[in-house]
Formats: sequence, structure tokens, C-alpha cells
Amino acid sequence: MALLELDDLTKRYGGIVAVDHVTMRIEAGEVRAVIGPNGAGKTSLFHLITGVVKAAEGNVRFAGEDVSGLPAHGRCQRGMSRTFQLTSLFPEMSARENTRLAAQARDAKRWMPFGGGSVFHDATRHGDVALERLGLTHVANRQAGFLSHGDQRLLEVAMALAQQPRLLLLDEPTQGLSVEETAQAVDVLGGLFAKGDLTVLLVEHDMEVVFRLAHKITVLHRGSVIADGDPDTVKADEGVQNAYLGGFA
Amino acid sequence: MRLLIAAAALLALLPFGLPPYAMTLMTEALILGLFAMSLDLMVGYARLISFGHAAAYGFGAYACGNFLLHTSMPLPCAVLLAGIAGGIVAIGVGWVCTQATGVSFSMLTLAYAQLLYAVAFKWTSVTGASDGLAGIPRNPGPFGVTWWSGKAGFYYLTLACLLGAFMFCRELVRSPFGAVLRGIRENEAKTIALGFNTRRYKIAIVAISYGLAGLAGALYAPFAGFANTELLFWLLSGQVLIMVIVGGAGTLVGPVLGAMFFLYVQQKLSSYTDSWALFFGVIFILFVLFMPEGIWGFLRSRSRFARKTA
Amino acid sequence: MDFFAFLVTQCLNALSQAALLFFLGCGLTLIFGIMRIVNFAHGAFFMLGAYVGYSTVHWTGNFWLALIVAPVAVGGFGAAFELGILRRLYGRDGHAFLMVTFGLTLIMGEVIRLVWGVEALQVKPPESLSDIVFILDEPFPVYRLFLAGAGIVVAVVIWQFLERTRLGLLIRATSQNAEMVYALGTDVALVRSAVFGIGCGLAGIGGVMAAPLVTASLGMAPNAVIDTFVIVIIGGMGSFLGSLIGAVLVAFVQVFGTYYFPDFAMAFMYLIMLTVLVVRPGGLLGKEA
Repeated sequence: MALLELDDLTKRYGGIVAVDHVTMRIEAGEVRAVIGPNGAGKTSLFHLITGVVKAAEGNVRFAGEDVSGLPAHGRCQRGMSRTFQLTSLFPEMSARENTRLAAQARDAKRWMPFGGGSVFHDATRHGDVALERLGLTHVANRQAGFLSHGDQRLLEVAMALAQQPRLLLLDEPTQGLSVEETAQAVDVLGGLFAKGDLTVLLVEHDMEVVFRLAHKITVLHRGSVIADGDPDTVKADEGVQNAYLGGFA
Repeated sequence: MRLLIAAAALLALLPFGLPPYAMTLMTEALILGLFAMSLDLMVGYARLISFGHAAAYGFGAYACGNFLLHTSMPLPCAVLLAGIAGGIVAIGVGWVCTQATGVSFSMLTLAYAQLLYAVAFKWTSVTGASDGLAGIPRNPGPFGVTWWSGKAGFYYLTLACLLGAFMFCRELVRSPFGAVLRGIRENEAKTIALGFNTRRYKIAIVAISYGLAGLAGALYAPFAGFANTELLFWLLSGQVLIMVIVGGAGTLVGPVLGAMFFLYVQQKLSSYTDSWALFFGVIFILFVLFMPEGIWGFLRSRSRFARKTA
Repeated sequence: MDFFAFLVTQCLNALSQAALLFFLGCGLTLIFGIMRIVNFAHGAFFMLGAYVGYSTVHWTGNFWLALIVAPVAVGGFGAAFELGILRRLYGRDGHAFLMVTFGLTLIMGEVIRLVWGVEALQVKPPESLSDIVFILDEPFPVYRLFLAGAGIVVAVVIWQFLERTRLGLLIRATSQNAEMVYALGTDVALVRSAVFGIGCGLAGIGGVMAAPLVTASLGMAPNAVIDTFVIVIIGGMGSFLGSLIGAVLVAFVQVFGTYYFPDFAMAFMYLIMLTVLVVRPGGLLGKEA
């Protein structure tokens, strides 16, 4: 049984079919990238998986359970953690407090109105581990709003990681980064995934990033899957090359 | 922390040094301080701007007034019960108001307050309509204790409520619950994305905030001896918001200081002119424009800065 | 009373009420369309219009003069406030606007309390409008007919203003894309002040027209702003047509609701507001608030 199973997932906006009967399987431990030109439906697919929007047809099964009816925060509780395309952090809190809050969300006693010694202790621990894996320990006590853009994108990933997710969903993690920052981010993320203990679904634009990080690639075009496989196969696929106009040898 | 203990000690010793009219003023200041502090929970910590907080205050006053007038419930019990009742009712109010966010939320709080105001005029048997409730007694306490019916005793009762509420609020904002509130304040969308059901937290803080405001109102009824529709009037909601902003939102202490400042200026100015409330409206706008962190917030950031650069 | 006559008179009642609500809603939606802020002080401007109207009638005995003085005074004050204070807030988060316009409401409330006192003030309509006519054998105040008529006239005037005049075009353009208009060399700041002034002026004229019916009182401000908000939410923030529709809908619900459940008027508003906010937070016709 795959960790994430999508069957015939479909989403329509008015007359437009944004996601067209998409079927996908992601196994535990896999790093899967979803790519496609603008308007291919990547973001819509992402929203369907994370529960931000409801599917018109098809369903989403996570670890065997049908989560199609669950709202976003419910799916998060089940073990899906996501990042945002536009950086979304708690700007006045330190990086540490950001990851601590993220980790706190998974604690059964996260709502305690008093004390909280153990809750904070555990959450800080998970948060700090996440910060370390993303190479952010040196800025742990700096205000998130004052971090460099690259560090902010990594902090977002750290927050998702601090939740000890079963599935990590990254929405264009290198969005808005300069060439240098992107290279740095790819290094860090590569090191993060190398350990092999994470299952990752990555939506990306940038080909270089995708080919360096992903085990498998799914290509979307106009809402449907046109290719699905390991990087070399996808690279050579004619349909994919046509979709991107001019290919990418 | 030491500063706070010193302040508490000072407040506790006041009855021994002050003349009776000053005692009365101080008691009223503490009641208003509690009222303002309760609003700070919503405004300063969760960024839920209530324009109708007088609804909670007036509710507490009328509830306590009725308990004291129509039953022989001891004073402290009536006060506490009225506060709790206010909090429970506010769960429903919170549920309704948090259906919306931003401006809409604030409008709903105002609408609820206007609703209560209108109801107070109609429900004569409970509220005495436009005349209000008069002659509210300070019923003898449990076991016949009448200490808190006297000036000093009532002062200590009020002080105990304020200090108790303060410590409760302080614990609350430093707890995991408080950390989530902070998240809601800074970026609610992200807080939801992390998996928190933010609606519940918002309803909870509204209930607690309205409950404490109800406690303040419940203290006011036996303090003044009456309760009327003025306690539900929208201008009062505005005044308490001013106290919070001028004093310093998000600090708990700031709004209490803001209330004291407000009362002090009101006393001083009202002997010269009738327009002291206008003065506060202007100050309010100036603070929003130029010192949004309020007096206490400003002082706190200065001392932090000083400590860092020292 | 014959049911048909009852229906007709109540409908006319509702139309006159709708006119008042329309003045308010139109002003608020105009301001929102241009400035993307909700003018919380809108109810206070309405109230100010009523009081200024009262004083004008009190001193000159001329109601028609009040109809001019009130909106001009209130609108002028609004524009001045935008110029002096609101301008400093563009770029800060939405809460600052809410607080400042709320502060303005408080200030206006206190000033009115100081100048005019706490008692509700009667404003007498002019002789020519104080009569009663008989519609289907039922008495109906001429003043309400006047109000309904005025509402229609103002609606048409504003519609033409938006469609035909240069400023109207500018307003519509700015409400869709402020940056573009700026780039074309228009002084957006001036447009903003003008629109804020016009919006407040509309509230002011609503106030002076409402005064003979409801008397001028301090409670006007919060109730008016709540009513206005509901209308604009129903019709959609920024939509002129929406404010018209919203005003008519709310007026009908209020008039018939008050007839059948006289004690629950306020509860009605609360309920309507809640329902609208829950069901259609974006309104029927407009952009998201």
C-alpha cells in the first residue's frame, strides 16, 4: 500500500478542468516531484491533496485512509505537513519559536492554558532538530522577519519538518530565490533527503532543482499526467519535451 | 516580576494611607483596570478587536445586581457567579462573532452590544429599563462576614479579583494556549495550516475575555450601588478600548495603567471642563498614529533596548 | 384596514427607509471602492448630518437650507479628516484604519454630546412636507414620499455622475486599478480625498433627511454603521448597484419585521448580519471585503 494514493482526482473551476482524472501513487521514502508548465494544474493538485479545496471527482487516500472529506487542518493532524508558495511565517517570532509552534501542533496537549513545561520542552526539541537538519541553527534566535529570503524558505521547510510528518509537501520551495540562493537551498534539501527517512512531494518549476532532488517525476500538462517515472526517462520523453516547448536536453 | 510584586504590595497598603474619597477612586480604578485588562486579551493577544466590550461589563453588572437584590447571595459569590455567567454566555457570542474575521468580526461585536443595549430598555423586570437597578446592596458574605461591605474591605475584594485575574491571564498567555494565540495574531492562515483549529481558540479567548469583563462589571454594581444602561453604551466600549491602546496592548499591565490614567485625567479635567472624553478620543488617535504600542509598550521596549546595549 | 392598502403603505414605508439606507450604503461602498477601507465613522457622519441639520433648522427655520448645509459641512469635514489624518495610514495594516475611524466616531460622539447634549432632538420638516396624504384611504406622511423620491433622484444623479463625468470615470477606474490611474498622471490622493468627502457628504444628507423621522440622538452612530455595513455586505463592497439592492432588501426586512415583531428590531439586524456574513461574505455583487 502506497503512502499517498490519488485516484481519478478531478477539479473544475467553472468551465475549466484544472485537474483531470489524475492518478498517482507515492511510496514511503520516495521523493516525488510534480512539474509542468504554467497552468498545468500543479497548484490545484497540491490544494486537492492538502485539503484546501474539495475534489469534484476521485479521492485521496493517505496511509490507507480516505481523507477526501477531511479539511486541511484534519489532514495536517493525520501527518501531512506543507509549506506555502508565498513565504508564510510568524515574522515577529524567532526561528526557534516558529519551529516550536509548528511542533506544538502535533502535541496532544497543545492547547493547555497553563504551565506547558513539558509541551514546550518537547516542541522545542523537535523544532531544534528540524532547524539543525535545515542548517539554520546559527540563526535560531533571530526574528524570522529579519532572515534572508533563502533562509526564510528553508525555515518554512523546517517548520513542516518539525511536525514529524509522514508526508512532507513542498510548494515551490525555491520560489523567488536568486540563482545562488537556489543552489544553496538545493544543497541543503539534498542533504535533508539523503537520509532517506522522509517521504516528499515537491511541486516545482525549476528543472535543475527537480532533477537533482527527485527520485521520481510526474509531469502535468493541462491537468493530466503526461509522464511519470525516474528523471532520465522523463527527460527523454517526447511528449514532455513538446509540452515545455523546446525541450531541455 | 519584582516590579509587579512591589506594585501589588503598594496597592495592598494604600488603604492605610489614603483618605476615603481617594479610596473610592482607587477602587473604581481597579475595576476599570480589570475591565481594560480583559479586553487586552482579545485585542492585544489575539488581535480580535471588540467594539462592544461594554456588553460584557453591563451584563456582569446587571447579573450581579439581580443576584444581590433578589437573593441573599453573599457579595463575593454574586460577583464571581456573575463573571462566570458572563463567560458562559460569551461562548455563544464568540461562536457567532468568530464566524467572521477582521472588520466583520468587530461589527458583530458592536451589533451584539447594541442588541443588549436595546434589550436592557425593554426587559424591565430584569433591568429596570431606563431607570436601571438601584439600591444594590452589598450582601453579607459567607458565614455572616461583612468585612467586604465596608470601603476598605471592598477595596481588598476588588484588588484580589484584579490580582487573581492578572495572574490567571499571565499564566494563560505564557502557556501553550497563549503560544497559539500569538500565532493567530501574527499569521492566522499559517496557524491553521500547521493544524490548529484556530476557531476554537478564538472562541475560548472571547469567552475568557468577556467573562473577566463581566467580573469587572459585577464588581461595579455593588460598588456604585446601581446598574443602568450607561454600562452598555457604545461610548463606554470606546473608552475601554482607548485605555487598552493608550496603556499598551498586549502587555496586560499597560491597560490597567491606561485605566488609572484615564480615571485620573477624568477627575482632574472634569473640574475645568466637560470635554475630558473628547480629549481622550484625540489622544487615542494620536497614539494609534504615533505610538501604537502604547505607554507601557513603549517603556518596555526602551528598557529592553537599554538592557541590550548596556 | 384592507390588506392591499396595508401592503402598499408598508411598501412605500420601506422605500422611504431604503432611500435613507441607500444614502448611507452608497457612501460607504464608494469609499471602500476607492480606498479599500471600511469607514467605521460612517455612522457618526450620518449622526453629525442629523445634528447639523437640526441646528440649521433651529437657527434659520429653513429645512431646505439644512439639506444643503449638512452634506457640505459633513463632507467637508470628512475630506479634511482624510487629508490630515487618514493619509498617514496608507501602507499600514487594516487595523490602524479601523482604530482611527473608530476613534473619530468616539470623538464625534463626544463633541455632539458636548455641543448638543444627550437628549434626542426633534427636527421639524418644512410646512410643505408635513402633511398627510391618503393612499387607498390610508393616511401616509408626505415626508416619507419625499424621502422615497429623493432617494430615487440621488440614485440617478450618482449613477449619471459615475457614468458620465470625468471624476466619476476616475473613481471607477481607480476602484479597479489605482496604480494604473496613478501612472496615467492623475493625482490619486486628490481623488481619494474627494471621494471620502463625497461619501461622508452622502452620509450627512442621509442624516439630515432622517432627522425629522427618527430625531437626532447619540445612538444613531452605532446603529447606522451596523445597518450600512450589512447593506454593503449584502450588495458587495464596492458595488453601487449592490448598495441599492442591499438598501431595498434591508429596508423591506426592517419595515415588515418591525411590524410583525416590534420588540425584536435590533435582534433582526444582528441575525441578518450574521446570516449574510456566514452565507455570502463577498456579497451578492461585489468584490471581497
